[in-house]
Amino acid sequence: LIAGLLLFLALPLVVASVVYVFRGWATLAALLSVGTALALGIAILVLPLGRTVELWGRQIVMGGRVTFLGRELVLEEVDRIAIAFLYLTAAGIFALAWRASPGAMLFPVGLGILSLLSGSLLIRPLIYAVLLVELAIALSILALQIEGQQPTQGGLQYLSFALLAMPGLLVIHWLMDRYALTPDDTGLLEASAILLALSFALLLGSIPFHLWMPSVGADSEPLASAFVFTVNSGAVWFLLLAFLESYPELTAYVRFGPFASGVGLAMVTVGGLFAASQRSLGRLMGYGALIDGGVALVALGMESERGLALAFLAVLARPFGLALMAAGLKGLRRGMGSSDGLDALRGVAWRSPWSTLALVVGGLSTAGFPIGVGFAGRWALYRALASSDVVDVLLLMLASAGVMVGICRAVAALFWRPRSSDGEAGDVARDAPSEGVLTAVVLVLAVTACVGVGFFPQLLAPTALRLAGLYTFLAP
Amino acid sequence: VPLLSDLLARVAFLAATPAVIGVFVTASLLVVSQDWRLNVIALAAQYFFVALLMTQLVRLEMAAVKGLIGWLVCLVFYLTEQQAQSLRRDVDSGSGVSVQNWFSARLEGWRSHGISARAAFGFLAALLVALTAYVAAFAIPLPQLPRGLSGVCYLLIGLGVLLLGLSQDPVRVGLGLLTFLSGFDLFYVALEPSLVVTGLVGSISFVITLGMAYLRTAHVAGGSAGGAT
Repeated sequence: LIAGLLLFLALPLVVASVVYVFRGWATLAALLSVGTALALGIAILVLPLGRTVELWGRQIVMGGRVTFLGRELVLEEVDRIAIAFLYLTAAGIFALAWRASPGAMLFPVGLGILSLLSGSLLIRPLIYAVLLVELAIALSILALQIEGQQPTQGGLQYLSFALLAMPGLLVIHWLMDRYALTPDDTGLLEASAILLALSFALLLGSIPFHLWMPSVGADSEPLASAFVFTVNSGAVWFLLLAFLESYPELTAYVRFGPFASGVGLAMVTVGGLFAASQRSLGRLMGYGALIDGGVALVALGMESERGLALAFLAVLARPFGLALMAAGLKGLRRGMGSSDGLDALRGVAWRSPWSTLALVVGGLSTAGFPIGVGFAGRWALYRALASSDVVDVLLLMLASAGVMVGICRAVAALFWRPRSSDGEAGDVARDAPSEGVLTAVVLVLAVTACVGVGFFPQLLAPTALRLAGLYTFLAP
Repeated sequence: VPLLSDLLARVAFLAATPAVIGVFVTASLLVVSQDWRLNVIALAAQYFFVALLMTQLVRLEMAAVKGLIGWLVCLVFYLTEQQAQSLRRDVDSGSGVSVQNWFSARLEGWRSHGISARAAFGFLAALLVALTAYVAAFAIPLPQLPRGLSGVCYLLIGLGVLLLGLSQDPVRVGLGLLTFLSGFDLFYVALEPSLVVTGLVGSISFVITLGMAYLRTAHVAGGSAGGAT
C-alpha cells in the first residue's frame, strides 16, 4: 500500500534526477518532464480521496494524514486543487520550453520545485511550509540563469527579497502560539499582522519591493521567469491564504481588506506607468506580472467570497498569458542574440511570426484585454467594483492600458518594414520564417488554449468559485 | 560532528564576549574585503563563532551540526573560487598564484595605494551597523535571547543586508544572504530548537551556496571574469 501523497513528493524528485542526466537529449528530457507533471496534475484531481486505488498492480491510497519524517502531511480539498494547478501549469510551461528552451535547467529544477511546493501545501504546521517555499525559491535561481551569460541580477534580487521575508513568517507562528496562551496581549497580534504584511509584500513583489519582477523578466530565462511568476507565485498565494485561514484571530483583529486593496492599487498604478514606457519586452512581462498580482490583491481586498473567487480567477488565468508571452519572448530573443530591446527587435516578426503571435496574444491576456483569458477575470472585477469604487476601476483599466501601450509599441517595432534602401536592416524583413513546424504547432496550440479559455471562462470560473468557498476566514 | 562538538566543548570559555567580538570582526571582514581567500576564511570563522554562541541556547551537538553545515558551505565556496580562478588562468594563460606572491602583491598594493575608498566605506558602514545593532539590542530585545545575543543577531542581519546592498557579484550576494541567515538562525534556534528546522535551514543555506556557485561559474565561463578577486 503506497501513500499517494508521498508520490507527489518523491516522484518529481526521481524524474528530476533522470531528466538532469538526460538533459542533452532535449526531447526526452522535455517529454519526461511534461508527462510527469501532467500525470501527477491529473492524478491528484481524478484519484478519489480516502479510497484505495489499484494502479499497475500497486495499491495507492489518496488523502488522509500521512506522517513523513515525524511531520504530518494532510491533503485537503484546497490543497488538491492547488497542487493540480501547480503541476498542470508546470506541464504547460515545460511543453512550451520543449521547443523554446530545449535542454534548459528548467526541466529538472522545475520538477524539484514542484516536489517542494507540493510538500509546502501538504505539511503541517506552517513553519515547515515556509521553509519549503524558501527552499524552492532558492532552487529557482538555477533555472533562471541563462547559460553562458552574466549572472542573473533578477534572480539574485528575487532570492534576496524572498529570504528577507522568511524570518517574519517563521516568527508569526511563535507569536500566535504565545497569543493563544495570553489572549489579552494584543501587541502580539499587532506584531504578527505587521510581520505578515511585510513578509508577503516581499514575497509577492508588491510596491516598494517589486524591483525583482521586471529584473527577472529582463535578464533571466523567459520560461523560467514565467515559472516563477506563475507556479512559485501561485504557491505563495496559497501560503498567504493558509496563514489567513490558520489564524482567524489575526484576520478578525486586522481589517486586511483596505490594506490589500491599497497595496494592490499601488502595484497596478506603478506597473501600468512603467509598462507603458518599457523598451525591453522582458521588463514589460515583469510589469505585466506585477499588475496581475496587484489585481488579485485588489480582489482579495473586497473581503468577500466573491472577491476571493476573483482573486483565484486572476491566479488561475495568469499562466495562460505569461507563459505564452515568455515563449514568444524566448523565440524573438533567440533570433536577435538574446537582446529584447525594441531597437534590436525591429522587423523580427517577419522572421519569427509564431513567436510574435504568442507574444501578442500572451500580452493581451496579461493586459486583461479581450480574446485573452485575463479579460474574463478583469471584466468581472470591474463589474464587482464599479458600484462602490469607480476610481479603483479606472486605475485598473489604466494599468491594463499601460501594458497594452507597451504591447502596441512592441508590435510596431516587430512589424517594422524597412525601405528597400535600408541595406542590412532590410535583410531581416526579407528573411524567411526561421521557426520549425513543430515550434509553430506548439505555439499555435498554446495560443488556441489561451483564446479558447478566454472565450469560455466558465472552464476556470467554477474552480475559482469552489476554491473561494473552501476558505472560511471571510465568513462573518 | 563528535569532533566539532568536542572542539566546541573545549573552547566553551570563549562563548561570550570573545565570540561576540569574533563575529563582529569576521562579519566586518566580509563587508570590507574583496579577496575571496580572506572571505572564505572569515565565513568559516564566523560559522564557528556563531556555533559557539549557540551553545548557550541549544545542545552542543545541535550547535555542532549547524557549524558543520556552515563549514560545508565554506568548502563549496572555496572549491567554486578555485575552479573560477583556474578558468580565469586558462583564459589569461598566466602562471599560478603562490601564497608568497599573493602576500607580496597585497603589501605592494597597500603601500602604494593605501586602503581603498570602497574598503574604507565598507568599514565605516559596518561600524554604523554595529552601533545600530547595539542600540537595537537594548531598545527591542529579541524574545528568549540574552541581550548580548540579541545584539549579535541584529549585527549579523544588518551586515548581511549591507552586503546585499553593496554588491551585484553573486558570491558577495551569497555571503550576504548566508550572514543574514546566520543571524536569524541564532535567534530562531532559541524559539524552535527542532532538528527538522535545523535541517531545512541548513538545506536553504546549501542551496543558496550551490546557486551562487553556479552563477559564479557561469560568470567566469561566460568569459567575463570579474567580481571577487
